[in-house]
Amino acid sequence: MSESAIITTNNVNLWYNEKHALESVSIRVPKNRVTALIGPSGCGKSTLLRCFNRLNDLIDHVKITGEIMLDDENIHAPSTDVVTLRKKVGMVFQKPNPFPKTIYENVAYGPRVHGVRDKAELDRIVEESLRHAAIWDEVKERLNDSALGLSGGQQQRLCIARTLAVEPEVILMDEPCSSLDPIATAKIENLIERLKEDYTVIIVTHNMQQAARVSDYTGFMYIGKLIECGKTRQIFEHPKEELTENYITGRFG
Amino acid sequence: MAEKFHTELKKLKADTLKMAQLGRFMLRTAVDALIRQDKELAASVVAKKDEIHDMEVRIEEHCYQLIALNQPMAKDMRIIACTLKVITASLRIGRYGKSIANTVVDLSSKPHIANLMSIPHMADLVIDMIDDAIAAYESDDLRPIEDLSSRDDTIDALRHSIFREGITYMMEDPKNISRCTHYIMVARYLERCADHACKIAENVQYMETGERVEIH
Ligand SMILES: Nc1ncnc2c1ncn2[C@@H]1O[C@H](COP(=O)(O)OP(=O)(O)O)[C@@H](O)[C@H]1O
Ligand SMILES: [Mg+2]
Repeated sequence: MSESAIITTNNVNLWYNEKHALESVSIRVPKNRVTALIGPSGCGKSTLLRCFNRLNDLIDHVKITGEIMLDDENIHAPSTDVVTLRKKVGMVFQKPNPFPKTIYENVAYGPRVHGVRDKAELDRIVEESLRHAAIWDEVKERLNDSALGLSGGQQQRLCIARTLAVEPEVILMDEPCSSLDPIATAKIENLIERLKEDYTVIIVTHNMQQAARVSDYTGFMYIGKLIECGKTRQIFEHPKEELTENYITGRFG
Repeated sequence: MAEKFHTELKKLKADTLKMAQLGRFMLRTAVDALIRQDKELAASVVAKKDEIHDMEVRIEEHCYQLIALNQPMAKDMRIIACTLKVITASLRIGRYGKSIANTVVDLSSKPHIANLMSIPHMADLVIDMIDDAIAAYESDDLRPIEDLSSRDDTIDALRHSIFREGITYMMEDPKNISRCTHYIMVARYLERCADHACKIAENVQYMETGERVEIH
């Protein structure tokens, strides 16, 4: 991986109480690329993803060692402001979780929190974010309707728009399509492809075909370890590690 | 799901192996018919052409079906990609067998010139190469095909020597022209069959390691 990295981890270990959930994970996440994390359920994908914006800080009895660098800054350094970090590294969850507010308010919420007051400016951000998230045409006539009236796929794209509204550098997605039908999934996948022009995307998915379709790089995790990470083409055509090969071809356990 | 797919892949490989053996058998039998000037034996080779063709069509369809239904990846994908190449090569080998068998009628009226020159020896070497390529495909073991490239050089040299020897006999006596032209063609077919053995070997190498190599 010679492309410039936006996130680099160095020997990251994480424990939930006694449970050693990440073991010496060192990964480079190339900028403006889509990186997929795959691996059996419980292997630590979500945990690793949450490390990138320190969401694990919210969980009790978590201990983390090692280094996580974002743009050459250690995200655990005392000088790092977690709010700013989470603005730079946004997250989209498995189940769409719009606020029970209007479509407009869902997107305007983040910029407001970060101090944008001007109505015209907010309007601009909302429209641009919704356009970026490929949902503008579907909602432009009903921005003041409740977000909860949208379909699951639309809600997920709205959540992506909400993430985009604060102008992040990195977007973390934790199984963003697992509750969506194939058509809504295809829309999100197309969106991911376009997002990488402006952002870096890290996606956790249990769907290997999806990882193969949307990502440039793929990391395979197994029981808390990053077994192998490389170009998606290479991982799915000829992985270096037998463990990866066995997982990808369903010869597991 | 994955288990059923892997059972199907095993069957695909077993079918491919049968087809490869048939192609090899057609070539071996054609050369034997040529050596013994046995027209009946030659006719039995020609009669196999539909069978091998049908096998190729069936296996190819099976490959596409497996791809469409399972979206194979990594080794599974490489097995299917390799199989598609192996069946093409095997069909060609069988067809060259048929072409050699077709020469037997013209070449059976009189004794062979110079005991067919180096053709029988060349055929043995080519068939060994095919056997080793097939064995590698069957056993996932690359050792039998390690030295295929240098063996292919030997085959090229033999073809060339048969060509020169054939020309010599033609110059000695124009009555030899038709017969020696056939010999030269047969040597050419055998040389092509060795190339197909190398193609199979290249694809087995890809199947096993994911690395693309050229063997010739
Ligand atoms: N909040 C938590 N407290 C304790 N253990 C947890 C917590 N979250 C995850 N784990 C454990 O850590 C391991 C990794 O979980 P997770 O990162 O969610 O895996 P994945 O996303 O790959 O399915 C699992 O064994 C899981 O049970
Ligand atoms: Mg998870």
